[in-house]
Amino acid sequence: MDHPRADSALAVEDRLYSALALVRVVVTINMVALNAYRRESFSHPTLALVVVVALVVWTGFAIWLYGRRSTRTPALLVADLAIAVAAIAVTPWLKSEDFNATIPGFWVMGALLAWAIHWHWKGGLVAAAALSVADLLPRQEIDQGNYGNVFLVLIGGPIVGYMCESLQRMAHERDAAEHAAAAAEERTRLARAVHDGVLQVLAMVQRQGAAAGGQWAELGRMAGEQERGLRSLIRQQDTVPTGSGGRVDLAGALEAMATAHPVRVEVATPGGAVLVDEHVATETVAAVKACLDNVLAHVGAEGAAWVLAESAPDAITVSVRDDGPGMAPGRVDEAAAEGRLGVASSIRGRIEGLGGTATLRSGEWGTEWELSVPLA
Amino acid sequence: MVRVMVVDDHPMWRDAVERDLQAAGHEVVAVASNGREAMARFPAAAPQVVVLDLQLPDSTGVQVTSMMLEHDPTARVLILSASGEQDDVLEAIKAGATGYLVKSASSAELVDAVTRVADGDTVFTPGLAGLVLGEFRRIADGPADDPRDQLTERETEILKMVATGMSYKQIAARLVLSHRTVQNHVQNTLRKLQMNNRVQLTRWAIEHGLDDRP
Repeated sequence: MDHPRADSALAVEDRLYSALALVRVVVTINMVALNAYRRESFSHPTLALVVVVALVVWTGFAIWLYGRRSTRTPALLVADLAIAVAAIAVTPWLKSEDFNATIPGFWVMGALLAWAIHWHWKGGLVAAAALSVADLLPRQEIDQGNYGNVFLVLIGGPIVGYMCESLQRMAHERDAAEHAAAAAEERTRLARAVHDGVLQVLAMVQRQGAAAGGQWAELGRMAGEQERGLRSLIRQQDTVPTGSGGRVDLAGALEAMATAHPVRVEVATPGGAVLVDEHVATETVAAVKACLDNVLAHVGAEGAAWVLAESAPDAITVSVRDDGPGMAPGRVDEAAAEGRLGVASSIRGRIEGLGGTATLRSGEWGTEWELSVPLA
Repeated sequence: MVRVMVVDDHPMWRDAVERDLQAAGHEVVAVASNGREAMARFPAAAPQVVVLDLQLPDSTGVQVTSMMLEHDPTARVLILSASGEQDDVLEAIKAGATGYLVKSASSAELVDAVTRVADGDTVFTPGLAGLVLGEFRRIADGPADDPRDQLTERETEILKMVATGMSYKQIAARLVLSHRTVQNHVQNTLRKLQMNNRVQLTRWAIEHGLDDRP
């Protein structure tokens, strides 16, 4: 599938062609040196010199043409390959029928790689096939060396082409991702301004409603609920996890659960996402929810509760406190002895299932669960 | 009576806060609707407490906080914010604000907070206590610093109680401490956080060649 060439893909192509320019210089020097070394083997040395000089001139010209996007046309690529094929083809006339090395030798790599960069694996394969045919046809016998070279060209051309395509696609994808991130950031910024305005009004209604009393107080209370919900939603949005691999944000999950709970809950988090394994998050949130259900059962919907999430490198700790009357010392043990610890044991069970500990404290200040879960 | 300055870009809020404070017997010496106005009026008004919205049209509450405290270190800044953007709140506290309240707080809570902040006390919400605990955890997990920057066990314990909604009075009763001692511990946590912030800023400045030393 051919992607439309985005700027990023063109930038990758630019870089690949500048790298190729360097390769061209190296293989050209190599070609000149080898032909000078083997000058005895030419039957027409003057013509051979003309060919070599022509190839050097073309190399310089090609580097210049490939360097600019406007002149980097299919015609240039075709001409480049045609010259390489022609240079191979004229070898039998300039050397002898049983020549060993072609005049351009490794120099043809320039055209091959250009095709691979521009037309990817297909380009690499077509150029490799053309060069191989040109190399093998005039030969009277094919030795292992010839076979090896042709094999490498046929394998290497498409592979390099494939990798160039991958590079360009990755650049394209990175561009798309960057664009999406920028758009999301702008949306968040706008949402913030809108949210701030809405929160101001909700807070105001809540405040004035409470002062006015009666029906207005009820309206104020409802505004307060909405305000807490929206604030919690914004915080969850702030901590949407970027990590993958089944890790989720525990802080956001606690906020979401607490907002939906009938008990009035205030959630305190360390700020930012608290990334844990999905299983740990699910079980911990369920345990905290059980704590809140307990508050609802014993204190009622008018009870207030607080959830504090703390995160250390090796463990997470979630504290849940309510301002209910608390329990008399020893009552928990008493209840356990009588086998009446249904909710408590479901909290303990979940946390101990994660290898953690659940501690219950109670006093005049209320009841507090501290759930501590080690992170593997 | 406390001399208060109110900085908020919503006239509705400015008026409401002003009314509440005046009704409680405080004097509103100046109001401003953006950072520029706030900085222009701050020196002459010389308020004891600035009630500051974090979201201002021309600058952030964090910037205004540092500028004001640089000008007059005895002033106290109470952040009053609608959304409670976590990062902004923490930054404002690090910059020297000693109180934080969400706008849905009642008039009584606001007046109480202003009085307490004026007395040099710190006003924490549970959410802020959680953020501060998280910040100290990040400091502890970072490169080893002066141990004086770290919270003591007692401070951590108290901050956790604040973060789970306990009042200073409840904490004092639970830990069998005086109310004043609990206050001091909470104040210490902010002082350490602000000190740590200054150390970080200085270190950053030195690393980036911004210090004044020749």
